[in-house]
Parts: sequence; structure tokens; C-alpha cells
Amino acid sequence: MSVAAGGGAPSKVEPMKLRIYGVVGGLVGIYLASLLGPMTGNWASFIAALGVIPAVVLGANSVRRVCSYGIGTGVPSIGMLALGMGIVAAMFGLAIGGVIGPILGTAIAMGFGYLIGLITNKAIKFNIPVMEEGTMDLGGAGAITLLGLSVAVSGSADYAAIQMSVIATGYIAVVFIAGSLAILHPFNANLGPDETQDRTLTHAISTAALAIVAAGICGIGTIGLPSVLTVIVGFLVWIVYFKKFFQLVKRDAAGVVGTGLLPPSAQ
Amino acid sequence: MTGIDATSVMYIIEIIIGGLLVAIGVHFVPVGGAPAAMAQATGVGTGTVQLAAGSGLTGLLAAGLMMKMTDDLLLIVASGAVGAMIMIDATMVVGNWVYIYGVGAPPASAKVNYDPITKLPQPPYMAPGTVGQGIPTVCYVSGTIGGLLGGAGGSLIYFALLSINGNPGLSGIFAIGIFLVNAVLASWNIQGTIEGFHDTKFKRWPRVLQAALLASAIIGVMAVMITGGA
Repeated sequence: MSVAAGGGAPSKVEPMKLRIYGVVGGLVGIYLASLLGPMTGNWASFIAALGVIPAVVLGANSVRRVCSYGIGTGVPSIGMLALGMGIVAAMFGLAIGGVIGPILGTAIAMGFGYLIGLITNKAIKFNIPVMEEGTMDLGGAGAITLLGLSVAVSGSADYAAIQMSVIATGYIAVVFIAGSLAILHPFNANLGPDETQDRTLTHAISTAALAIVAAGICGIGTIGLPSVLTVIVGFLVWIVYFKKFFQLVKRDAAGVVGTGLLPPSAQ
Repeated sequence: MTGIDATSVMYIIEIIIGGLLVAIGVHFVPVGGAPAAMAQATGVGTGTVQLAAGSGLTGLLAAGLMMKMTDDLLLIVASGAVGAMIMIDATMVVGNWVYIYGVGAPPASAKVNYDPITKLPQPPYMAPGTVGQGIPTVCYVSGTIGGLLGGAGGSLIYFALLSINGNPGLSGIFAIGIFLVNAVLASWNIQGTIEGFHDTKFKRWPRVLQAALLASAIIGVMAVMITGGA
């Protein structure tokens, strides 16, 4: 594999800071939504979806850190790995953890991620210095994204409720793919020599917002009207951050010019 | 939550074997990546994970269908393997149509001078500046073997999971998770592209065994401790 010059992408925001924001923000969202759920008649479920945003930013940042070394397989593989690790750990945590389920699931996902990083460096001989840290963050981000979107769909962090309204209905597939795309797409779309952290992470917020919209639409089938709020919140976040992303694209581009329509002769 | 006893140890072993089959199966699939999408490298023009997931998930569907009829492990695994083989074969056939009739490039391997199966020479058909194009016979056969191993592995995992928790939805999404982790580890091992069993990169397969063994074992232990719930 090719190692990027200088070893890794330059970052303005420290990974540790993003890790704390991502994990704490995501878990606070999940717990707030499931605590307020019964009181507000599930109108608070959008908070869990909002908590997904810092987790996706954490995931996108670690995709950026690991993939800037060049992993040879394309960026999507690592996003799929994140949710693959995340789903098993998250469901395990929920099933055995009870109230502390989401915390347990996230912790297990991060531990499992660290191990995956370790074996890819040792057995597959990747020799990427940030691999262990990167896959640890990815596991955590995957688990929180999955849990947050699942809580947004079901309105509760209870294992039985998620079983019934997310897994048995098949919405888990939407949550899985929307969540992994949210994590993998930002770096996949922005990579290159002119990639900047703020642009990639702003893009991550907008892709997380789209995942929220998807989860909100699924939620209409399970918790009904309150899920419309999730869709609206997701759209608002998307509009704001996609505009911001586009500004950053214009800032980083050499030039933005209108090409006009094709001349009639070219058709 | 259920404890771990002799039966669950057996299920863990089944999950590990399934994971290993998936990880090895990926090494057989002719993955060309982005260069192949431009007909500048041999193989199907997409990433390993997409190919493995596509064929593996079809295998899961086939296995799930068979599980409705019987609980004979052999039949279920065979059904999953055949499902995955059909899917990967269909992908390769259609890919070849595009390369041959659309792009106008004859399938040729860059890794061997003579196709080990048809004995036809390869270099005369290779466009200059490329590393082969399309899916020649040897890659096609190799890909079919990959589908067999991947589908069998995936359905073995699904069978074990469903026997534990009796919940098709949970088992399905879990099997996908285990499948993806092993497929990604394998694709990292081949660094994205491989032509099949005749490729020199194929010799790296023992390396992925350690990785897939450890990953599948951890997931297996977690998976058997989760009940169907609800």
C-alpha cells in the first residue's frame, strides 16, 4: 500500500476531542431520548438521532485518518467494517446490559475495534500507525450510529422494543446502510491532495443528517407522527450544513465557473 | 442472556468455520476495483466488499428459504452456496458482456501467459498499458469457487445464529455483520484487487486465517450469548 507523505492527514481538530464529543454526545442523545420518550409520547426521539451527528463525525474523522495512508481497497470497505463491528457489539450490549446497554455496547465495540486494528497490523501486516486507534473509533462510532438511529426509529433503548420495531420490521437494513454511508461517504467524496479536515467533517454532518431523515421516515411506520419531527430536524440540519459544505468546496476549489448549457451542435 | 454450554461451543465453532470460509472465499473472487471499471485491469469492476456482500447476501436468502423447508445443515449450506454461486456468476457474465460487446475488449489475464484452464495465450490479447481486461475463463472458474465458499460460510453462520436465537431478523443482520467483517479483513489482505487462484497474491491467504479466526471467535462468543428477545 502507498503511505501518504508525512504519515497521515493534517488535522486541525484533535482526534481525542472528537472521540469525547462523539461518544459522549451520542450516548447522551440515546439516553435523553429514551428517558424523555415515555413522558413526551416519543416526541423526544429526534434527540437520539441528533446524537448520531457527533458519532458520525468521529467515524468520518477516523476513516479520514486511516484511509489517508491508503488501504488499497477503497474507502467503502472500512465504513462497512465499522457498522459490521458496531451491530454485533451494540446488540450484545443491549441484550445483556439492560440500562447500561448502550454504554456497554459502545465500549465493547471500541474494544473489538482496537483488536481488529491490532490484528490487521500484526497478521495482515498493514503497519499503519493509527490503525488500532482508528478502528477503535470506528467501532464506537458504528455502534453509536446504529443505536442512535435505532432509538430514533423505535423511541426507546429497550432491547425488546428495538427487536420488535427495528429488527423484525427490517428497518435495521436501512439503519445499517444509511449509517455506514454517513460514515464512509465524507472522506470518499473529499479525498485527494487538497482534502481538508473541516470540509470533510462538515460534509459528515450533512451525511449524518440524511441518515437521520432516513431513520425518521422508517420511524413513521413504528412510532408514527413524532417521527415526522425527526425528518424535519434532519432536513434542517442537512440544508444548513450542505450549504456550509458547498461554501467550503468553493473556498478550496481553484475556481468555480458556470459552464452554461451544451451548445446545440454537441448534442 | 444465555450461558455458554457444549451446544453453544458447537455454534461458536460453526460461526468460526463460516467466517474462515468467507475470508478464504474472497481470495477466489476476481476483484478488479476501479481500474477494472475502466476495462484496464482483469476482474469485475467493483470492490471486494460489494462483490462479497452481493453474492453472500444472495446466499443468505437462498439458505433462509431452504431453512423454511428443512433443518438439515448440509442442504441449507448447499442451498446458500448455490445461491451465492449463481449471483457471482450472473455478475461476471453480465460484466463480460459489457467488456466484450460494450467496451470491445477481449477478456485477458495479466498474471499468467497461458490460461491454466483453456491453455489459450493471454499476452496477445492484452491492450498495451493495461493489466488485462474482462473476466477470462480461469477468473470465472475461480470466482465461482469463491461464491461457493462465501455462500457456504455465510449460510453456516446464519444457520448457527438462527439455531441459537430463533429470530430470523436478528440472525440475518448479525450474519451480515460477521460476513462483512471477514470480507473486509480478506480484502485488506489482497489489498483490493486479485484475479483469482492463479494470482500471486492468492498465496497470502494463510495471513487472513489468523485475523479471521480471532475476529470470528470474538463475534461468535458474543452472538451465542444473545437471545432472540421480545
